[in-house]
Amino acid sequence: MSGYVEAGYVVVLGTLGIYGVALAARERAARRRLGTASSIVSTGTSAKADSPAQAGEAPAVEHRAVDGSEPGPVQ
Amino acid sequence: MSTPARVLAQDRPAALRVLGAIALVGVAATVWLGLFVTPPDQFMGNLVRLLYIHPPMAWVAFLAYGIATLASLLYLWPRTRAEHFDRLAGASAEVGVVFTGLTLVSGSIWGRPTWGAWWVWDPLLTTTALLFVLYLGYLALRRVPGEFHVRARRSAIAALIAFIDVPIVYFSVEWWRSLHQAPTVLNPTTHKTYVHGSMFWTLMLGFVSFTLVYAWLMVHRYRLARLQDLEETEGLEVAIEERRAEGEAG
Amino acid sequence: MLRDAVLVAGKDLRIEIRSRVGLNQIGPFAIAVLLLFGLALGPDRRVLASASAGLFWVAVLLSTLLAVQRSYAIESADAARDGLRLSGLDPAGIFLGKASAVAAQLLVLEAGLTVGVALLYGAHLSGALVLIAACVAGTLGLAAVGTLYGVVASGLRTRETLLPLLFLPVVAPVLLAATKAWDAGLAGRQGHAAGWLDVLVVFAVLYIAIGTVAFGPLLEDG
Repeated sequence: MSGYVEAGYVVVLGTLGIYGVALAARERAARRRLGTASSIVSTGTSAKADSPAQAGEAPAVEHRAVDGSEPGPVQ
Repeated sequence: MSTPARVLAQDRPAALRVLGAIALVGVAATVWLGLFVTPPDQFMGNLVRLLYIHPPMAWVAFLAYGIATLASLLYLWPRTRAEHFDRLAGASAEVGVVFTGLTLVSGSIWGRPTWGAWWVWDPLLTTTALLFVLYLGYLALRRVPGEFHVRARRSAIAALIAFIDVPIVYFSVEWWRSLHQAPTVLNPTTHKTYVHGSMFWTLMLGFVSFTLVYAWLMVHRYRLARLQDLEETEGLEVAIEERRAEGEAG
Repeated sequence: MLRDAVLVAGKDLRIEIRSRVGLNQIGPFAIAVLLLFGLALGPDRRVLASASAGLFWVAVLLSTLLAVQRSYAIESADAARDGLRLSGLDPAGIFLGKASAVAAQLLVLEAGLTVGVALLYGAHLSGALVLIAACVAGTLGLAAVGTLYGVVASGLRTRETLLPLLFLPVVAPVLLAATKAWDAGLAGRQGHAAGWLDVLVVFAVLYIAIGTVAFGPLLEDG
């Protein structure tokens, strides 16, 4: 009877944990790739573009403004 | 191009880490309370411990869907149209589908010893199962390649079409089921269970903690989406740059 | 808008009458489904008879998918949406027209399926009024949702797999309500069907309304 309870907790916490870790990993990988791409494109820009910033002390909440660079619904 | 620089510079803002920490603590507390501190129920014994997990899962599943739909609406409304709403919808949907799956699994695990079956056609469970498939369809549609605005608009409309269906599904199934007397997850016995102090507060803590978990996952999924979109734009620019370099070299 | 709808519906139905794909392919498909259900659920006619309503409607749902795919396939090959878009017709009218054509074909199909179910499963066809009402209301809802999702899927390479995935969960209430209404009708308990018929009508009205509004934007995209 109690086996079910343990199973339930393990499955739920395990799945959420795996998903969270995987998500963080994907984010880090994408950030790294973006860093490389950035350095190819903008050869003369500041060093900030090349090194992922250190933890924590950046602006508190990510700025969610619209990207002005997006192309319009053309083509 | 300063946008990648700006995004990269915002690696792990403090607020996000705090959110993650609080969520983690909340879940840990819920688990500890749920598994060890609270007493077993007089009717279902230790199985009640699963009911500190299952309802929060269901709550988040529906919350996530609601938010995805709301974001879709905001995207469609011309005055509030903005890319971040589409990304928000997608992020919420992906996190939501995980919680929906967990709702079904946890409900199933609780149901097996309680009713002797891995699945019963309980209105809430059945609606959740349908919600799961609706989510998957929405996510599949989002993955179809296309220009950002095109993809966003068609996904948003699909989200609305599906969302309106959910209450119809729920009431249909509920009525369908009321014609046959059969077990439900939310029956009077279950309600009585939560009256005892520690059990009630553990459940409340569960709701709050998993909502925070959802929020943390959602923000990270959103950020990932943002990075991926930037990657696409960057990818184009890299290709152009390389082409230009080749042209100059050759 | 209505004029365009009639135009489009007329065109679609004329194509069907001439090509007879519905008759030659979708009809037999539906019969095949009934036969396969018969094989799956065993020769005991009591089981089949009691399940007739549900099996009938599942066959209808699956046939709707084919009918909708066909509805968009008849537009000029891959440029289906371009053709519709550039035609200058009111999108809401195109939606109503296409959905009506699909609904009409489905109703004809259902007539055949009713006979099939009576023959193969031994269903007792009583409560004809209820059966017909359920068919009309249910089919309108199915056609509306199908046509709407159909335009989304029509431009895509994954349309054959995406359309069922999008369509079937949304029309689950139609399946449920129509089956229950049919159960009531077949059992001679017409009174019990009233509420289910209401659900079907609400669903149909709702999604026809949504379709009229949403079809235009969906047609423009992609």
